[in-house]
Amino acid sequence: MKKIGIISLSDRKSGFQTGHASTRRKTNILLKGPKNVKIGIPRAFYYHSYPGLWECFFRRLGHEPVVSPPSTQATLHKASAQTETEGCLPQKLFDGHVLSLIGKVDAVFVARIISIVKKYNCCPRFGALLDATRAGIARGVPLIPIEINETVAPLSKTLMKLARTTLGADTKTAKLAVKEAIEAMAQHHREEARRQREQTPGKRYLLLGHPYTLHDHFIADPMIKKMAQLQVPVELMSFAGSRHIKPGDILWCVFNQMYHKLHELDTQTYAGVIQISTFNCGADSMMADRFRRVCRQKGVPYMLLMMDEHTGKAGLDTRLEAFVDSLSWQKTGKAS
Amino acid sequence: MKERLAIPNLGNYTVALAAMVDGMGAEPWWSTYTHDHAMSLGIAAAPESVCLPFKAHLGHFLEADEAGVENAMMVNSIGACRLNYYRGMLDDTLKDMGRKIRLFGLGFDGFKPPVFRYFDPPIIPLLRAVFLGIEKIRTIDTIEIQTAFTRARELNTGETSLLTEHCLSELCGIDTKKRVQVFHKTVRERFKAIAIDKNRDPLRVGLIGEVSLLRDRQLNRNLEQILGHRGVETKNFFLLGGEIGNNFGISMGYKQQTARQLALVARPYLGCEVGGHARDSVAHTIHCAREGFDAMVHVCPTGCMPEVSIRPILRKVSEDMNIPVLELSFDEHTCALGVITRVEAFLDILQNRRRKGLTKAKSRGTS
Ligand code: SF4
Repeated sequence: MKKIGIISLSDRKSGFQTGHASTRRKTNILLKGPKNVKIGIPRAFYYHSYPGLWECFFRRLGHEPVVSPPSTQATLHKASAQTETEGCLPQKLFDGHVLSLIGKVDAVFVARIISIVKKYNCCPRFGALLDATRAGIARGVPLIPIEINETVAPLSKTLMKLARTTLGADTKTAKLAVKEAIEAMAQHHREEARRQREQTPGKRYLLLGHPYTLHDHFIADPMIKKMAQLQVPVELMSFAGSRHIKPGDILWCVFNQMYHKLHELDTQTYAGVIQISTFNCGADSMMADRFRRVCRQKGVPYMLLMMDEHTGKAGLDTRLEAFVDSLSWQKTGKAS
Repeated sequence: MKERLAIPNLGNYTVALAAMVDGMGAEPWWSTYTHDHAMSLGIAAAPESVCLPFKAHLGHFLEADEAGVENAMMVNSIGACRLNYYRGMLDDTLKDMGRKIRLFGLGFDGFKPPVFRYFDPPIIPLLRAVFLGIEKIRTIDTIEIQTAFTRARELNTGETSLLTEHCLSELCGIDTKKRVQVFHKTVRERFKAIAIDKNRDPLRVGLIGEVSLLRDRQLNRNLEQILGHRGVETKNFFLLGGEIGNNFGISMGYKQQTARQLALVARPYLGCEVGGHARDSVAHTIHCAREGFDAMVHVCPTGCMPEVSIRPILRKVSEDMNIPVLELSFDEHTCALGVITRVEAFLDILQNRRRKGLTKAKSRGTS
């Protein structure tokens, strides 16, 4: 397998010393032409925000995408020595995923996401993600960077650029790959919606969270399993239609969507809302209060579940059981 | 009687903001730091996991409400960080608690910010007040710089801090631009009058990080004074004059601090604006390393999204450019003693580095 010539850290450093002009980030010169580069995709953040997109994209360009295995306690453990202690739980998981890829792949794919939806922004951690990864845990490891900023350029353009410059594909292949990748994501969303429709008859609970917490093996799975055990149907918050969202005063796109979703809730279909918050998430800390308020107005019971590295299964189970039980008692109490 | 308007804390710069509010036809209610009482009110009322500055602001406004102040004003931001939602959440929390205080944002709603519509200040005095305020900001910048310089060299510990307080309270009382200018000219002289040790070559440390923490001495446990009294010359990188120039493109005499230049400096390490002052922190660290500063102190509230997320980058800069960075994060449980211990240990290291000649000892002439 050929080595990839991404600007190495030492190059950047020397460029830095010679002055500003030369420090302009040159487009990373992946050698033109090499096929079948092993590209590592951490199963975190943007993997879940753009489900199905990246694998398809890289495969179409003739490379080999390698997605890190689902997160477990071990992922976290791996990261714990090097990751920033004050970071949020998903950030730590991300670091763990990157670490688990290093050494197994030729380059790691890391995105800097400034906005996923036009005119809206994301958590500031996403903006720093690429540079922080480069300076921190993935020091000296070749990265494939991408900057996603829908406010400036639509996703297809960004992908096109990545394919043409960094990955050195020709226009025709690139175009095809972009088209198929986006289609793959749409397909994924459709699947999800269909599954959702099929399995949620009657009253259900809404599980609220970020795409990367709801679909994370470590964070949300225990809860989903527990709910299944209790035999209460749950609906995961879906961000499928995320390209067109309603305007609102919340500029973080994910939270805006959640906010509008909550506004549309009705007590007929939803028995309750459970928000999964992750430890040290600054955005959640600001928004949870607001969401609780909306739910109170709507008359839908609301619970906040905080997940951190040490959250034990027992504690989680107890809280979920208590929540579900208390709601069913309420109902029967009213009926009698 | 004029209605009162509580304004948010911005450290010593609140003096200047107060002058502007005064011109708006409202009586300002302010303080240069968050009081203990306000802090405890804020901590009790705010959700546990929000960041420290929010608790401080909330407490500040609760205190204002207790004092019977009718209105309050809060800054808005359009960045990606939590500050953006402060106002909304403050509003909700205050309402939930049944407080009467009315909270205005600074955002434009139609043509005028609502706060202007409410007070409806006549335009000429308002402009005059704004210019007065800007002049005061300049003066405070000078006071800050002089304080940092003198405090590190003073012979009798504490004299400088006292003079700073004096200067500020005097500045408060001045209400025309002319007289502020005259006063501005005397500031330097006054600080010169303090007996200093001319031969001392103090450690030079840059302070970077989150604004409220840099400016509110209650929140940062008086970090600047702690450093100053241990003979360290600090450079606080939040000078409001520079900041205004930075945001609105008005030159206030800080050529090196416009957002674009900072972006350029930070570029090799950080390619985009993260939010808050994260990019500035990186840029200033690089700058200071070039200028031969001994170290940087990076302060932020615990869990601050932008500042925490750039820490790996700061570490890299620190290694590459040989400048130590002390990372301090503050929450409501941080006690001054803990900060002092950490700072003292850090200073020991710095002294040691100096002795070994590890710090670039160049261009150490400051005004
Ligand atoms: S939104 Fe919260 S969980 Fe997501 S990256 Fe930001 S701080 Fe972490």
